[in-house]
Amino acid sequence: MLRSVLIAFWRSFTRHPLYGGLNLLGLSLGIAVFIALSLLVRFETGYESWSPERAKIYTVGTRYFFPGMTDEVRIGAMGGLTEELKASYPQLVTVRDWSNPVTVHKGSDVYAEQIELVDPEFLSFFGVPMREGDAASALNDPGSVVISEEKARKYFGTADAVGKTLTLSDAEGRKPYVVSAVIRDLPKNADLKLGLMRRITPQRTAMETSTWHHWGSVQLMAFLKFKEPAEARALQAQMDAFTDRQVGDTFGPGTKGSSLMKLVLVPLADMHLIDPKQKAAIVTLGLVGVVALGLALINYVNLATARAGLRAREVAVRKTLGARPSALRLQFLGEALLTLLVAFIVGLSLVELTLPLINAAGGLSLSLDYVKDGAWLAGLLGVVLLAGLVAALYPAFALSAFKPAQVLASSRTPAGGRLGMRLREGLVILQFAAVVMAFTLMLGFIKQIEHIQSADLGFKRDGLLLVNSIRDVNINAAQREGFQAAVRALPNVTAVTIANAIPGDQSNVNNSNIVLPGQRDKLTESPTVNWSVVGPGYFELIGIQLVAGRYFDPRFAEDQIWEENESEADAKKLTNVIVSRLTVQRLGLKSPQAAVGQTARFADHTVRIVGVVEDARFYHPSEPIPAKLYMFDAHVSYNPVGFVRYAGVSESVMRERLRKAWRQIAPDVPFEVTSAYENLDKYYKPERDRSNLFGVGAGVAALIGCIGLYGMAAFNTSRRAREIGLRKVLGASRSQVVRLLTLQFLRPVLIASVIAWPLAWLALGQWLSQFDDAIGISPLFFLIATAAALAIALGTVGGLALSSASTEPGKALRHQ
Amino acid sequence: MIELQNVSRLYRSDEIETTALHNINLTIRQGEFVAIMGPSGCGKSTLLNTLGTIDRPTSGAYLFNGVDLAKLSEAKLAQHRARHLGFIFQSFNLVDDLTIYENIELGLLYRQGQKGSRRQAIETAMDRVGIAHRARHFPHQLSGGQQQRAAIARAIVGNPDLILADEPTGNLDTENGAQVMDILKGLNASGATIIMVTHSPSHADQASRRVDILDGQLVASVAQML
Repeated sequence: MLRSVLIAFWRSFTRHPLYGGLNLLGLSLGIAVFIALSLLVRFETGYESWSPERAKIYTVGTRYFFPGMTDEVRIGAMGGLTEELKASYPQLVTVRDWSNPVTVHKGSDVYAEQIELVDPEFLSFFGVPMREGDAASALNDPGSVVISEEKARKYFGTADAVGKTLTLSDAEGRKPYVVSAVIRDLPKNADLKLGLMRRITPQRTAMETSTWHHWGSVQLMAFLKFKEPAEARALQAQMDAFTDRQVGDTFGPGTKGSSLMKLVLVPLADMHLIDPKQKAAIVTLGLVGVVALGLALINYVNLATARAGLRAREVAVRKTLGARPSALRLQFLGEALLTLLVAFIVGLSLVELTLPLINAAGGLSLSLDYVKDGAWLAGLLGVVLLAGLVAALYPAFALSAFKPAQVLASSRTPAGGRLGMRLREGLVILQFAAVVMAFTLMLGFIKQIEHIQSADLGFKRDGLLLVNSIRDVNINAAQREGFQAAVRALPNVTAVTIANAIPGDQSNVNNSNIVLPGQRDKLTESPTVNWSVVGPGYFELIGIQLVAGRYFDPRFAEDQIWEENESEADAKKLTNVIVSRLTVQRLGLKSPQAAVGQTARFADHTVRIVGVVEDARFYHPSEPIPAKLYMFDAHVSYNPVGFVRYAGVSESVMRERLRKAWRQIAPDVPFEVTSAYENLDKYYKPERDRSNLFGVGAGVAALIGCIGLYGMAAFNTSRRAREIGLRKVLGASRSQVVRLLTLQFLRPVLIASVIAWPLAWLALGQWLSQFDDAIGISPLFFLIATAAALAIALGTVGGLALSSASTEPGKALRHQ
Repeated sequence: MIELQNVSRLYRSDEIETTALHNINLTIRQGEFVAIMGPSGCGKSTLLNTLGTIDRPTSGAYLFNGVDLAKLSEAKLAQHRARHLGFIFQSFNLVDDLTIYENIELGLLYRQGQKGSRRQAIETAMDRVGIAHRARHFPHQLSGGQQQRAAIARAIVGNPDLILADEPTGNLDTENGAQVMDILKGLNASGATIIMVTHSPSHADQASRRVDILDGQLVASVAQML
């Protein structure tokens, strides 16, 4: 039996290279897409798998219910939350990870890094893989720092760095720290970036008095560990009551804490894909992999049943010679199994070969390790073989069911009956429905991504550089002013200012509510505004248009924001603000003009609206534009970023000039600059990457469809060779024959389109609904997709039809 | 060895009912060489297929060494064919994708219990029909006569009790036809029972008995002097 299977498999390539090749190519491509996208899904769902404790760890997320804000779970917690939790539930095991900017000094060079300020139990809590040093005690000493192998090599040239000294400067000043442990580098799919770590110190938390126990604020990530999921559920059930208790009357008399915010325990395994949009994207790509495998298996069934006709005589002979149907089925399933096995190996090799391209297209860092991933790959192989065997059942049964007396009596080869033909046509329709749907979605994706990348955002994103180093804790007011003056003097610079209303930067977002006189001051009812502080000339520089009133002007004393430590008398003074068009609407004011001059209560102060500006989209295109309130500070000091508008010179030249100017002002602080374009691109890139991946998947799916169609057409034309000869003898022209042969295959494509259109419309609508700024669905998407599928089908079948129609009828009639 | 009792075979389609065989009674003894003759469409091949158990009688009994085959399951019939029967067809019916050696091997593949001596049996069969030098070739690389000899080798490789030949010379020229008849006669002389459907009176004359069929009925069964 095994020998028969091997011979049949081998001969399918040596004797029918077209059939064998198409069959294997189609299957391998489908399997390759399936493997590649399974790798992606595994990567995306495997975040933080490096931690042996992953299943027991939960992180704290918060859902806010402020008017005008979305209520999805945001990962992060108030700095003092775990302290308050432990006071109420002493049995809890918790740690915190508070990521902060830090400057590393190496000789006269300075490097900008992030340092994780953590609780001393952090390393053992997570089971962080250690290279050297003791996980339990490495973070006890406030003068110690724990670093990764990568950072050790970067700063010491060797991973053996325990005992060496690293000089860091951050909010606590410039100090030497002794490396007490080196941890192994974490895999790429880790949201925790543990390059540098030291313990949270009382000195550092003391700087956060206004926010550390301020319910509603978020500074860091808090983690809890439970032995059993039931314990986590039990705590979750008490979270609302706990929140209400702790918040008390902070949110206003009678306003329950849990009515505005809910603490959510998120399993560490779910943290990475907490955003439903992200999760949906990964699920979609996983489905593309399954669909590609399905299409390839459809091909297999199609080609196998088409070829069944050619093998009917063999089946009849074998049966006559005493083969039982069950033995034949076993033989055909054996052949299928062998084909699948070889296709899996070819598919795996394709993945291996194209992984760098896939990674580049999808912005990914997927990798295959045959030793570590052996079990996983075996599982994948199992899935492919199982699905393949189920698919192969039909051809195996169809083939083994031929009646030998009938087949041997007839000179024609059977085509598997009407059912077989219907089935094959149905499967081709299914394949092309998938292709048309994929093309339609692709067009929609491309158009939407083009749109978000070029849409009018309400400000000018080109020729705008953002100097982030200005917000370094070690930069003082004089340096900020000095740098601005130096930059203003540079050639090609048209405007400079400092502000914390930053496109593409959500690292520091502030929301408060605003109340008009006579309206109820209640957090659950009053409109929420996102507020920022801007310096002189900000609106003119960034290009946000004025709708009514005026821009800020340093000559008006009331434009200046209040001092942080103001006197009681000062707190009663009026402060001028500018609001966005959306804020006017949320406040229920009739028009922007009507808003000008209006006073309101905001952040315990009375403010007066002196100007209304257009809405500007600073964040992700899927996020609704927030209602905005701007305050003016002639010398912005709160999370300040430098804005530089330039013209007539390349970005790289401008960056270099800024770098030089910075070196003059603050040589001890690393220079960090981004463009507005770059900052915003981090919102677009994931969409673009996924769209690329989807495109690759769709392209391969289309290719598989073509292979299937070509195989079908080849068998069909060869089966109909005599008929074609006869038609030509009876006077049919070449073009009539071509039409006959091609139209037969255009019909399934058109039927496929009718099936695919509504599905694509639904899917595209669903995808676009996640964008606040979305394009409309154009009928052109559907028409172009169908036209492309038709062109592909025509191109695939047309050549065959032409050559078949050109055969001399005499030759065709002799054809067996 | 073989006894057909009132065997009938009807074919039914949506509208028409055709009687292919009508109340056939026929006895064939061990070692006979029977030629079945009749015009096209008279039921010769149906009779042969019925004898070969790849077609079942609609009614009547088919006794093979006393066992009523009409009552056996598909699997048992498959076993019966593998163990007792050899088939030769007009159009050879060699499997295109298998070499001559592998085609002949098919005659042993589905027999239970036969393992070790396969190679020798195949070589013996090839030698008997003079096709050994073509063992590694594919059917399309052989002439019609060679293909039919290969098909005969496949039929005899398992030493069957009964060889069924459906117009074995129908696709061959005179010389090749004569060669095939010589082989069949030789097989018969060494003890094989042969039933052959043929259109050729001269080939029918070489059999030990001639059976004539007309419109699905047995009209004559005449022993012949050789």
